[in-house]
Amino acid sequence: MNVLMPQLGETVAEGTVANWHKKVGDSVIADEIICDIETDKVSMEIPSPGAGVITKILVPAGTTVEVGTVLAVIESGASASAGAAATKSAAPAPQPPAAATEAPPPSWYAAMPPAMSEAKEQYTPQASTSSAAPTQLAVASTGGPQAAARDTHQRLSPAVRRLAAEHRLDLAAVSGSGRNGRITRRNVVEFIQTRQTTAQAAAPVAPVVAHAPTAAASAPAAPTAAAPTPATRAPIPGPAPASAPAQLGTSVPFTRIRRLTAEHMVRSKVTSPHVLQAVEVDFQRVDQVRKTVRDAWKAKHGYSLTYLPFIGNAVCRALLDYPHLNSSVQGDALLLHPQVNLAIAVDLGAEGLVAPVIKAAEKLSVAQLADAIADIAQRSRANRLKPDDFAGGTYTLSNSGTFGTLITAPIINQPQVAILSTDGVRKKPVVIETSEGDAIAIRPVGVLAQSFDHRAVDGAYSAAFLDRVRKLLETSHWVIDV
Amino acid sequence: MAQLTYRDAVAAGMAQEMRRDPNVVLLGEDVAAAGGVFKATVGLLDEFGAKRVKDTPISEQAIVGAAMGAAMTGLRPVVDLMFSDFFAVCWDIVANQIAKTRYMTDGQVTLPLVIRSANGAGSRFGAQHSQSVENWAMTIPGLKIVAPAFPGDVKGMLAAAIRDEDPVLFFEQKSLYATKGEVPDGEHVIELGKANVIREGTDVTIVALALMVPRALKAAEMLQEQHGINATVIDLRSLVPLDTQTILREVAKTGRLVTVEENPRLCGWGAEISSIVAEELFWDLDGPIVRVTTPHIPLAAANNLEDAQLPNPERIVASVRQLVD
Repeated sequence: MNVLMPQLGETVAEGTVANWHKKVGDSVIADEIICDIETDKVSMEIPSPGAGVITKILVPAGTTVEVGTVLAVIESGASASAGAAATKSAAPAPQPPAAATEAPPPSWYAAMPPAMSEAKEQYTPQASTSSAAPTQLAVASTGGPQAAARDTHQRLSPAVRRLAAEHRLDLAAVSGSGRNGRITRRNVVEFIQTRQTTAQAAAPVAPVVAHAPTAAASAPAAPTAAAPTPATRAPIPGPAPASAPAQLGTSVPFTRIRRLTAEHMVRSKVTSPHVLQAVEVDFQRVDQVRKTVRDAWKAKHGYSLTYLPFIGNAVCRALLDYPHLNSSVQGDALLLHPQVNLAIAVDLGAEGLVAPVIKAAEKLSVAQLADAIADIAQRSRANRLKPDDFAGGTYTLSNSGTFGTLITAPIINQPQVAILSTDGVRKKPVVIETSEGDAIAIRPVGVLAQSFDHRAVDGAYSAAFLDRVRKLLETSHWVIDV
Repeated sequence: MAQLTYRDAVAAGMAQEMRRDPNVVLLGEDVAAAGGVFKATVGLLDEFGAKRVKDTPISEQAIVGAAMGAAMTGLRPVVDLMFSDFFAVCWDIVANQIAKTRYMTDGQVTLPLVIRSANGAGSRFGAQHSQSVENWAMTIPGLKIVAPAFPGDVKGMLAAAIRDEDPVLFFEQKSLYATKGEVPDGEHVIELGKANVIREGTDVTIVALALMVPRALKAAEMLQEQHGINATVIDLRSLVPLDTQTILREVAKTGRLVTVEENPRLCGWGAEISSIVAEELFWDLDGPIVRVTTPHIPLAAANNLEDAQLPNPERIVASVRQLVD
């Protein structure tokens, strides 16, 4: 059995082995965790595809490899003693083609008399179908584990293909028990059952593509996933340090997530000419409904109803009217996305920043959006996000408001074209215009600041969008079903 | 439930129907006084008399022609053709006349007749008396084709064939005549066109007919014991009508199909089933369809050569392993 780098998401092309829990010669049982994988902002555990002994570890910890790469080889069955394993890892002899022994011509064919030679020639291709196929497989697999893995994908039976499509499986994660590692229908069925069991056990293991992307999600690559990943990483571009004395200060090495964030921020700033625009919003109506349902909401949902789902709801509605801000720049064109996949920036403290995505957020009510935000925030902090939770975002909300900031100039989450920062809401004296003259009232007021990509739209378009968001927040008759 | 031989089950089925319906008559070479060349009609002359159990001259064309005329005029004749190889001299009457009469008369004339014959190899009769000719007959629209493997099915399906309003070719495998099996007492009729799942497995579906059924069953046991491969075995029992529902259902369960045919390879019935399965179940198949057949050569009379020609359990096992491994 080969343990492969699983497909970790629609657009994720590689992963890094963080560490091995097992070493060569260790026995494993099916589904036992054998190593941890990191990709982008997710780490996950890789279970053993079956019982056996680890005979090879091909990718040492800390190494980044492409999806589908063989990470380790597990030998199943009684023959796999540790001693045999060591020998085998030292000399990975490919199986001989074995055409002569494995694929004798059918006996009826051999027994055919000369008088039938014409019919024999005509009939040879069909007659030898079943015997020729294994021979070809055997020859093809002499290229070593990688070649065998590729062949596994090339020779899938109709039943396996159909099951994989129905369950949206990535077959790279399925170990084949058939001839030359071919994946059989039973392998797939058992994989599906194992996956379900594993999922029920709440283990953060999901070496599968969890769901098909929407049309919108499939178009733009996930922000960090799209980053080209050279084998040797180039340093993050920035001004050269000015001959600083080396011994002064403390060097804090970047964590993986810090490095990825840094790379992404630099790339975004280089890619998109950012323009910042901000509007001041009176949250009076939002506050009223929040106060009305506050206790009941908290009691039922277990968390407080914040401004964010209201802002998200207003943004989604406004984006439907200003679709150029719900788009991606693709070459000389703007790709407009058919739905709003709302990315929500979630701070993980020392662990960094992630922006999981709520798909088709425009279809959600404020209450549903509140639940969705609470869900991804909670899963982010529990490190239980799946790769596809990050895929397909089309617009991002960044919320610094809890710290009472006045205004934030956010950096666009590529390949999106705009990002909105929600800053602190504070009570302020506000001039209210009425038919009986102006008056001063105390109102909850906050700033919404949007950075937009000036390649995609101009200031007037962005300003009109912000004005729409503001008016929606200030004038909507919010009704919340607790 | 009685233990009967395959040949006694033929006589039992005949007797059951002759008692039930006075229009049922039997004619053929040596069927009466001699009790049949294969002793499958012993006792019928005594019970039903020379008027209903008739020995005929050695002319197969005359026998099937007489049966056709008898069927047209109200009897339900059963022909004993002796060796099925002799269909070769009967095709004009069987293929051009009997098979087409109901169609060409717009249903005004039906031919409720049965042609029994001893089919297949395994008894060292040589190239002209050992053929499995069910695939010859299967190519002719208008004929029903039955080929049971077990005594119980012989009795029940012969009864159903005799009651059928249309011509039925009833193939008895001559090497099975001496085999024994349970045959229900009393009236026993098995609907034509129903295959029988005689072993249920999970890994591969083996479809067989007549003599190949016990061999497939033996192969399934060997596969289970020696290789841990759990095979389903289907006894087709009838080629026309063909029980595609059972075949498709069982192949869908295992994802793999092996057909085991005694007839020569080219255009054998397994090819037809392969075609149906490939068309209907393509997305359920987990491997290529494999046919195990007799080679496309005339059969030998020598023991060792005939044994080498016919599919046997070892060959079935090897074919299945190549598919399932």
